[in-house]
Amino acid sequence: MSDEPAAASETDADTSDSIADMVGVWAPRGNEVRVVAGTAVVLALFPFAFSRMPVVSDLLQGYQSLATLILIWGIFALGFDLLLGYTGLLSFGHAAFWGGAAYTAGVFSQQVSGSPVLMVAAGTAFAVLLAWALGFLSLRRGGIYFAILTLAFAQMLFYMSSSPLAFITGGENGFTGVETAELFGTFPLESELPSVLGLLLGTWLYAFVALITVLCVALAYRILQSPYGMVFRAIRENEQRAEFVGLNVWRYRLMSFILSGLFAGIAGSLFTIHGTYVPLASFYWTTSGEVVIMTVLGGTGSLFGPIIGAGVYLYVENIVSGGHPFDFIAPFWHLILGLVFVVVIWVFPRGIWGFVRDVRDAVTGGDD
Amino acid sequence: MSFHIEAITVLLNGLQQGAIYILLAVGLSIILGTLKFVNFAHGALYLIGTYAGLLLALEINLTSGQLQEWGFDQLGLGLGYIPALIIVPFIVFVVGLAMERWVVEPFKDRPDTDQILVTFGLAIIVQELFRVFFGSSSLPFSQPAWAQGPPQVPFLSTIPISSWRYYVIGITAVLVLIVYVLVEFTDFGLIVRAGTRDPEMVELLGIRLSRPYIVVFGIGAALAGVAGVVGGPLNPVNPTIGNEILVPAFLTVVIGGVGSIAGAVLGGVLFGLTQAILVATYSAWAQVGLYAIAAIVLLVRPQGLLGEAEVAP
Repeated sequence: MSDEPAAASETDADTSDSIADMVGVWAPRGNEVRVVAGTAVVLALFPFAFSRMPVVSDLLQGYQSLATLILIWGIFALGFDLLLGYTGLLSFGHAAFWGGAAYTAGVFSQQVSGSPVLMVAAGTAFAVLLAWALGFLSLRRGGIYFAILTLAFAQMLFYMSSSPLAFITGGENGFTGVETAELFGTFPLESELPSVLGLLLGTWLYAFVALITVLCVALAYRILQSPYGMVFRAIRENEQRAEFVGLNVWRYRLMSFILSGLFAGIAGSLFTIHGTYVPLASFYWTTSGEVVIMTVLGGTGSLFGPIIGAGVYLYVENIVSGGHPFDFIAPFWHLILGLVFVVVIWVFPRGIWGFVRDVRDAVTGGDD
Repeated sequence: MSFHIEAITVLLNGLQQGAIYILLAVGLSIILGTLKFVNFAHGALYLIGTYAGLLLALEINLTSGQLQEWGFDQLGLGLGYIPALIIVPFIVFVVGLAMERWVVEPFKDRPDTDQILVTFGLAIIVQELFRVFFGSSSLPFSQPAWAQGPPQVPFLSTIPISSWRYYVIGITAVLVLIVYVLVEFTDFGLIVRAGTRDPEMVELLGIRLSRPYIVVFGIGAALAGVAGVVGGPLNPVNPTIGNEILVPAFLTVVIGGVGSIAGAVLGGVLFGLTQAILVATYSAWAQVGLYAIAAIVLLVRPQGLLGEAEVAP
């Protein structure tokens, strides 16, 4: 990948301008290669360290399916951070896109095709269209109204799926008819990869989710490094000034909302594939609240913070609450998360990732 | 049951449900209008009100939670409903004062999103504290014996609605009227309203705003506490009720118009009636109807039914 710009520059600029442009569009920028490769390496080692490595995994008490779940919520939080951390809009209705995509993927698998790739495509497409509509309506009012409006629309969808649309969604029981097929028609998702890959990554499901996660990180990084992403930050810093410069703030906000809906859609579809079940609670506003907590906990305005936040949240929710090494705090896990969340907002508004960076800067003495 | 009896039943049920929304919405609305503070923990104040009312009014048997594990099988003072109704507002008022002093004040100059996030976090903490101590199962909060049947008044006794619901409507009407008079016709209200318009000017005139503001927050909190006591006996009591009521309460404020007490009343009545009518006719759509109304109002009149259009943010 990294030799593409070199190849482009070798060709005669006069004759193949358009080709050079095309290559240029796809060529990596800034630290992109480092970021994407680093993500891939970490994700390749993560399930092994978390659930199979001697000593470490015993200490962590992790397991394979939780590793997959962490990545899925990580994608959700990453997309949410595009909106909250970079554009400065707080939505309390992202459950709409997560749940909408989850139901769409589920129904799609039952009615059309169980191919995981197509399920993700269908769920994501629905989430994007929904984000477009809801964003169009909610962005009519800024600030606190935006939070309340997104919350209201998501709750409306929750109540829609709980009874009037129960014939599709299964109402209170959730959607149980998910029928996932093999990946690309050959690899069963629950079976292990061959040889050393199986030891590292575990199941095909994890490999599939990890690949999508890497693609999402690359996409988010590309967006944020582009002039387009720069505008998001400009709007966050000073909406009025951005408006005076001649930027159409409303349109950029809508696009940011749709983009974060896209990530939520990918994650929601994967959630259906992972659980082969869609609970009604995926539409409830606590789901929106969870992604808010994950993002803020990990660190808003950073690429990896939200993913780490998702990891910490799910770890506490699934492992700490379960007892054994954490018996003394197990019943209080949700309370502890709430306390930590408030402390983070109060004292470290930049979250875990910001804290890590501060420590690193203090140690190395540079501010990079 | 003849049609007109049924219609009156639905109407009264709607007004009663609306009354709970109104109590919460008026508090939220005056806090949002004067302090410009978004309180996502308003549902938590309702929750505190309900549990405080339950423990003051009755003696309950705990079946789960840490308190029960520590040997408190029975808890509560059993003072009765009237003392609870008088004491709880004061308790929640003090909680409100503390919250204004230690949460609202430090977050005054931070962005709206931080205010929402911190109060959202506090709401989770309060909810989980109640869950840890009292367990997540629903506690019985029965309506008082003297208010269970229909009132023994000619005509009303034929309508199958417990007197408690009439008390809820009556108490709400009185309290909202008191708050309205306080804000519109007293010196205190004058200062608060002037502070809403131009806080800098008011302070230049030598009037300290911090004290009226903290009282406004306390009043808003106390109203949520009353809502908790009067609303508690109508629904099962468990730690999630606070967060469940928060969303409709916020919508009531938004469709009524922020800062407008009359707007909150109108919004609450509209919501209550819609819900009651839909429950009686197309019950599957009862909740959806609320949100649909809110969406329509906001698209047609973004500032709310009785809100003033914003000139500049």
